[in-house]
Amino acid sequence: MNKKLTCIALALSAVGFASAIQAENKSIDIVTVVKITGISWFNRMEVGVKQFGAATPGITTSQIGPAQSDAAQQQRLVEDLVAKKVDAIAVVSMDPATLEPVLKRALDRGIKVVTHEADNQKNTQVDIEAFNNTAYGARLNDRLAACMGQTGKWSSLVGSLGSQSQVQWADGGASNAVKKYPKMTLVDAKNESANDAEKAYAKAKEILRKHPDIKGFQGSSSLDVLGIGRAIEEAGLQGKVCVYGTGLPSEAAKFLESGAVGGIAFWDPKDAGIMMNKAALMLVQGKPITDGMDMGVPGYNKVTVKKGPGVGVIVTGQAWVEVDKQNYKQYAF
Amino acid sequence: MKLKPSDPQLTFLLSINVLILLVATICSHGDFLDVYNFQSMASQLPELALLAMGVSLAMISGNGGIDLSGIGLANLAGVVAAALMPLLVDADAAPWTYTAGFVLVALLTGLLGGALNGLLVARAGLTPILCTLGTQMIFTGLAVVLTNGSSLRISTVDPMSDIGNALWFGVPIPFLIFVAMLLLLGWLMRYSPFGIRLYLLGTNARAARYAGLSRGKLRFATYTISGVLSAMAGIIIAARTASVKADYGSSYLLIAILIAVMAGIRPEGGYGRMICLFFSALALQLLSSTFNLLGISNFFRDCAWGLLLLFFLASARISIKDFFPNSKRNSASLN
Repeated sequence: MNKKLTCIALALSAVGFASAIQAENKSIDIVTVVKITGISWFNRMEVGVKQFGAATPGITTSQIGPAQSDAAQQQRLVEDLVAKKVDAIAVVSMDPATLEPVLKRALDRGIKVVTHEADNQKNTQVDIEAFNNTAYGARLNDRLAACMGQTGKWSSLVGSLGSQSQVQWADGGASNAVKKYPKMTLVDAKNESANDAEKAYAKAKEILRKHPDIKGFQGSSSLDVLGIGRAIEEAGLQGKVCVYGTGLPSEAAKFLESGAVGGIAFWDPKDAGIMMNKAALMLVQGKPITDGMDMGVPGYNKVTVKKGPGVGVIVTGQAWVEVDKQNYKQYAF
Repeated sequence: MKLKPSDPQLTFLLSINVLILLVATICSHGDFLDVYNFQSMASQLPELALLAMGVSLAMISGNGGIDLSGIGLANLAGVVAAALMPLLVDADAAPWTYTAGFVLVALLTGLLGGALNGLLVARAGLTPILCTLGTQMIFTGLAVVLTNGSSLRISTVDPMSDIGNALWFGVPIPFLIFVAMLLLLGWLMRYSPFGIRLYLLGTNARAARYAGLSRGKLRFATYTISGVLSAMAGIIIAARTASVKADYGSSYLLIAILIAVMAGIRPEGGYGRMICLFFSALALQLLSSTFNLLGISNFFRDCAWGLLLLFFLASARISIKDFFPNSKRNSASLN
């Protein structure tokens, strides 16, 4: 019993002690919460988050995320941040629906909320989207068309027909070709690769057999170009068939070198990280983000601002990064 | 549930709680002692602690008893209720009916799921760890089929949302639900014939059989109650996240087991106190929130929890009484 009493006395004295030395002046505290820590995509984002914090006086930035890919763990992290009462939370939602109540509590508590890749999130003040999906697909298609000499048969792959953004990329490419390149014919559009390089490879081989005169492929999932590239290499068609699509430099390097894949596009999580923190800082300072504004971040030089599904706005940039054999080495992820 | 000062496990858990609280307070310069922070922790705790209660019950029943299907069943209960209720009731027109229906359907799903576990373990004689691993996959699989794997938003009408988010005299409702269940189960385990028989069964299954206890019925009841507790966790999760998802809380399974083991529930069966479970769950939540408050990496937290688990398992062997020389260890205790 004595032990317990001692403990209680200790705890009580700690309370008094602690409140006495409570820190006075605080810098603006912005915390970025990602889906999962330790994968290269979010490691790259952390580079941006830290860079912005180091370059901007008066603010502290940090990035956290669950060690396991679990929406529950992310929800708990945000819950504790709300209790900690940081100035702003920037979150890449694992599942936007799951986070609605906790983000509402954050807003009620006066915490600024910024989200990324969650254009259906209601309880956010600013949602950052790297680009408009249709415009991105059209841009990929332009590069494909330039390679194909604006003529011939081409086909497209998507990870799955249920994946909204990928379907929008493929459709954006298709409508771009119809508008600008009348001599290009789309055959067997939107083949499903199930987000699997092996399936993409099998699909590409199938299409090559069915259309021996095919000139181009547009991939959507980051694994599509890997599968198509392998099929092209095996058929010895490097340089004869053009392949463009979303991809990661580290994964696609081999095929970019061999010429089986002409070029890839992606968005840089580093810039997205900077952009989220910048938007959060502007919210804290009470500065609005307006349509056509230059945010001073590559790819976000002329952002589009439209109303979101809830209280906030959706800010869209043109932050795609296009790389080919020459410059892919600049992006190490 | 009176505190027995002579229970070394309880004393140990209490001191750990005080220690974490002290360290957190000092390290955070007092920020930790914010009322909102305690409310936040109290509303994060119940979903995990309810799952841990299910695991504990199964452990106490002995014969390698454990329930791995808890979080799977919790999600399934939420998913079934979320998918079914909009077909029956318009939430905005009849919010109370919707909420009551949601709770009922979820509890019923939990009851059936738990009964399935009970049948397989008690009647078919399957090893609990393998049986519940299998049913966990079935439950999660069913939930994926019903939702196509994505999350399903549920109606956020007042009574439904209140279950997870509202306060009652400053205390979060989920915490009240959890404490009520804990008291009920604690009473059941200590004073009802069911509890006393279950401890007996867990301590020595053969002796229990010669004493004329029906092992089958007891085990069936244990896993069914565990299923209902899972469903309650599922309801709280649904209300707190305003959505249901097949793979929500996939990391909860191990944490629930950790809570149970830290609480001194004996994995071989026959011993475990609900009051210890409460402080064990509390310690983990305090520790977890402290790490978040201080910005300590989540990988380190997993590491710390692993160490804690091993430490507590070992301490069960080494006998804690060495650290508390003035306490008596009562090994034949039924509670």
